[in-house]
Amino acid sequence: MTSSRLNTGGRIERSRTIRFIFDGKAYTGHPGDTLASALLANGVTLFGRSFKYHRPRGVFAAGSEEPNALVTLIDGEVREPNVRATEAEIHDGLVAESQNRFPSLEHDLMAVNQLAGPLFSAGFYYKTFMGPAIGPLRGTRFWMFCEKFIRRAAGLGRAGMAADPDRYERMNAYCDVLVVGTGPAGLIAAETAAATGARVIIAEERPVAGGSLVSSGELIDGRNPAVWAREKAELLAGLPNVRFLTRTTVWGHYDGNVLAAIEHVADFKPNRTEGQPRQRHWVIRTGKTILATGAFERPIVFPGNDRPGVMLADAVRRFAMEYGVAAGSNIALFTNNDSAYDVARTLSQAGVGIGTIIDVRTDISGTCRDIADVAGAELLLGHAVTATHAGKTLSSITVQHFNAQTGRVSGAPREIKTDCLGVSGGWSPAIHLASQAGGKPEWDEDLQAFLAPEAHQNWVVAGSAAGYMDTISVLSDAATKGSAKHRAALPTVDAPMFDASPAPVYQIEPDGKTQKAFVDLQHDVTADDIRLAYREGFHSVEHLKRYTTLGMATDQGKTSNVPGLAIMADARQIPITAAGTTRFRPPFTPVSLGALAGERYGDLRPHRLTPIHDWHLSAGATMYDAGLWHRPMIYGSPGETIEQAYIREARTVRDSVGIVDVSTLGKIDIQGPDAAEFLDRVYTNMFSTLPIGKARYGLMLREDGIVFDDGTTWRLGQDQFLMTTTTANAGPVMQHLEYYLDCIWPDLRVHLTSVTDVWAGAAIAGPKSRAVLESCVTASKVDDATLPFMGIVHARIGDIPVMICRLSFSGELAYEVYCGAGFGTAMWEALISAGTPFGIVPYGLEALGTLRIEKGHVTGAEIDGRTTAHDLHLDWMLSKKKPFIGSAMLGREGLQDNNRLSLVGLISLDNQPINGGSHIVADATPREPADSFGHVTAACYSPALGKYVALALVKHGSSMIGRRAYASDLLRDKHGPVEIVSHHMFDREGSRMHG
Amino acid sequence: MAEIDSPLGSNYIAGEHGNVAAGIGVSLAERRNLSIIQVTAWPNTIPTVLTAIGSATGLIIDNKPGLGRVAGEKSVFGFAPGRFLVTAASADLETRLRSAISADLGTIVPLTHGRCVIRIAGPASEWVLSKLFALDFSEHAFAVGHGRATLHHDIHALIQRVDQDAFDLYIFRTFARSFWTILGHAAEEVGYRVG
Repeated sequence: MTSSRLNTGGRIERSRTIRFIFDGKAYTGHPGDTLASALLANGVTLFGRSFKYHRPRGVFAAGSEEPNALVTLIDGEVREPNVRATEAEIHDGLVAESQNRFPSLEHDLMAVNQLAGPLFSAGFYYKTFMGPAIGPLRGTRFWMFCEKFIRRAAGLGRAGMAADPDRYERMNAYCDVLVVGTGPAGLIAAETAAATGARVIIAEERPVAGGSLVSSGELIDGRNPAVWAREKAELLAGLPNVRFLTRTTVWGHYDGNVLAAIEHVADFKPNRTEGQPRQRHWVIRTGKTILATGAFERPIVFPGNDRPGVMLADAVRRFAMEYGVAAGSNIALFTNNDSAYDVARTLSQAGVGIGTIIDVRTDISGTCRDIADVAGAELLLGHAVTATHAGKTLSSITVQHFNAQTGRVSGAPREIKTDCLGVSGGWSPAIHLASQAGGKPEWDEDLQAFLAPEAHQNWVVAGSAAGYMDTISVLSDAATKGSAKHRAALPTVDAPMFDASPAPVYQIEPDGKTQKAFVDLQHDVTADDIRLAYREGFHSVEHLKRYTTLGMATDQGKTSNVPGLAIMADARQIPITAAGTTRFRPPFTPVSLGALAGERYGDLRPHRLTPIHDWHLSAGATMYDAGLWHRPMIYGSPGETIEQAYIREARTVRDSVGIVDVSTLGKIDIQGPDAAEFLDRVYTNMFSTLPIGKARYGLMLREDGIVFDDGTTWRLGQDQFLMTTTTANAGPVMQHLEYYLDCIWPDLRVHLTSVTDVWAGAAIAGPKSRAVLESCVTASKVDDATLPFMGIVHARIGDIPVMICRLSFSGELAYEVYCGAGFGTAMWEALISAGTPFGIVPYGLEALGTLRIEKGHVTGAEIDGRTTAHDLHLDWMLSKKKPFIGSAMLGREGLQDNNRLSLVGLISLDNQPINGGSHIVADATPREPADSFGHVTAACYSPALGKYVALALVKHGSSMIGRRAYASDLLRDKHGPVEIVSHHMFDREGSRMHG
Repeated sequence: MAEIDSPLGSNYIAGEHGNVAAGIGVSLAERRNLSIIQVTAWPNTIPTVLTAIGSATGLIIDNKPGLGRVAGEKSVFGFAPGRFLVTAASADLETRLRSAISADLGTIVPLTHGRCVIRIAGPASEWVLSKLFALDFSEHAFAVGHGRATLHHDIHALIQRVDQDAFDLYIFRTFARSFWTILGHAAEEVGYRVG
């Protein structure tokens, strides 16, 4: 194959030169070139090595259906594998390398696999790696040993380990009509739709509009069709109701007329402007979709059909007409249909010589004969290619007589010198997006192809995608489908008339031993593999696909599906329509993970900050991600460990006073005349009796009787409450309450509003906390009479209005002080200032956890979706005077079982930390914890007790108190003795809290 | 009275950012010193509540999903059945609404401290917002004055179109800085000005 640049033609910008590198060697091309066209223009024909056999492979197609010419693009440390060279636009500095070869593309040692070809036939893995039931290779052990070698020897490109520095974006779009594809059908359909005033989005996967017109030899309105298409596209793009997207592949078609597309915004640019994404992921919601996606030419399967130099006939035309590249110096065409003659005509007009046309048919039209004659090509009717000859590129082919009715090859072989063989086995409408939308594709006997299924949403298929294979019919069909109201004036078309029906010939099978005949080039699936699958019982197309991997590569079998199905149908001796086809799935072409992830990473990942966040940072807090929240973990002093810091903070709270940011607690405003009744129903305890100005600790259950959440709720008025929830459950509790109001009790007059963000909160705790408040709070006293336990006062700190509730999570005398979030920092600083004479310290989540563990107060670690109020010793909160959510299920046998885990405390007996998550076991010897009878939920060092302690859920918890056990964490190699104690490990009577 | 802190903090950097070579696509600004009040009517009192809101603010809207009105610094729009967001630069907005709307008619929740209001304006505002929200921002689907309740990832937002190419985004305060960063990132492509 001696490819070269033609002197004229193509849409490349010949006045400018681009320099790029492929496999370490520098080449030049022009703007408008793809990597494939530029390399072909430089005489490069070897692009890669095949998946299993490491056979040399060249370019096979010219667009998104390319199965062979996959390359890795390299940008510094970043590698993007499996990019189709036929779509990668070149730019200055582009670096690409071939794939699946070692040490080089020219000299690939793994090509030895070709010698072991029969070994790697369909089902190789299943047959080879299904280990025996016993012995050293039992089960999957042999596979696990071999896997890493196989992965290295077979496959596609290799992804890099460097982080992708590019940016990707999402875009949401709405339109009345989405037109996919801008060939003649797409352009006319879009023009027709736009003329009605509809909002139209047009998506074209290539850099320029026109589809088949760009490489066509026809005349539209007496003019070059590529120019006609370009002008039509410019006209459409200029309309205010049209958005025209090029380099945009619509890859998914979903329910509700939602389609997904990838726009290649800057992949092809050496330098990107600031803020420009590399790719933009579009989600398009449309009223109607017009799928003008064209058709893919498919190959004929014959021995040696994978040699570099064998390609689709239309690809030969596209390289010549779009890029000014002759794919060979002595081109032959092999066909079962008329379209190859149109290729010959166009190439001949472009000055590209055709040496031979091999046609399996014996009877062709006069038009075709005339074209062959004008092109000066030898016409071999009733012949087929039965072998190819090449080193790493095609040098000649063998042809023999062929009977298209019987499929028999006969006669003496004849060798024909050629360096490029264009193959046409007919055309398959590109129905992928239609198939994704549902329904079963329908077989068309005339076209020998599957057509789109019946639409169940508002979409239509137009043009060649709908099975119209000549431009006049395509335009007419598209104009009708663009709009029922408006009909565009159709252009004249000057083109020869061809018969769109191919001869039903899919494979050439000479007698005797032959070269491999490939069906799926990307996955190295041969015709023999398909027949082997049939012989081994994998008859269904779904089984065929999975057993042989036919159509499962990154090209999704765009060129291989129909030939593969035809060969299986032949083996089964049934019609193709009876064999059926698999359903196409998204994506149409591969989509980068970056484009799917969009902006949801790093700093762009949503997060929540409390109103006091900046103060925490300035105070040197070590922050901790708690869900979406960023919260202080500790306020460490220089040289302190985390443990030292939280011990110091917790000890200060017990000894003096500390302050913690509790703004993250969920807060729900509950208003309405039925608010109290509503709370009585959702909480296990009574709230309708709660006086105004008082708060109460409440417990919520799920419908199944399991504890859901806890928190305090404050009665601010006769009909107004402020509910607080745990930080983690703020959203779920809100949803829970809204569900009950909307769906179960719509008669209740209650309104709910999340006010978590409205309030900043600080809990001030410790024996000096009241003194601190007394020194800074005005407009209300805070003494025990005015502000008793669970009392609420409205007051001021400076000029900031605050609400203060006396409640405690730490077990100390404590208050929660709330103000408008915008005043949060000012209030916090005022409290810190007031507390300084008392030695106040800010404390973080670690100290907060320590204080509550010492007291045996529960959080999400214990309210884990499995525990009951009884398990957590909160059954005293279950009202017997009223029903509540979950009350009906509390009596279930399983929830009353004495074997249930219940809450206890643990004290380390070896003065070593107890790991969270450890199993509680009786055995002093570390071993797999088969006898686990509980687990640790939370652990810390207790400064109040001077010991490492923990909370745990243990079987028969209460009756186990006083016993010894072991906390076993084999994952972290920890197994230590503990004593089981009451979960109230500190100040059991609560005297400090009430003091 | 202490001044309400901006939740955007040091992330609010006045000036021009992103790809400004081809001009400024959008301007971003935080609207400060607003009173933001949520009014919720009972199912049978919606028309009466709308009338009451009109009497308190001078902004009268019909009871249809998403309808709203803007007049200078004042605005009102519905974002859920019977639920309306009322905004004004005057500190007595809550008082006036409480005077007009009794508990029999509905409930009032002050959200001034809980929301950050970001105005995005400019020729690329629809483009930038479409990167973040699955909403049809074209004017025929989203007219001036109208409001929407929506999400970007986990961030809830109420959006009101206040002019042909301007929108007010009501963001939960604790998410505001995160959202501001995301919004700026989305606007870099078209160039943006802060302040």
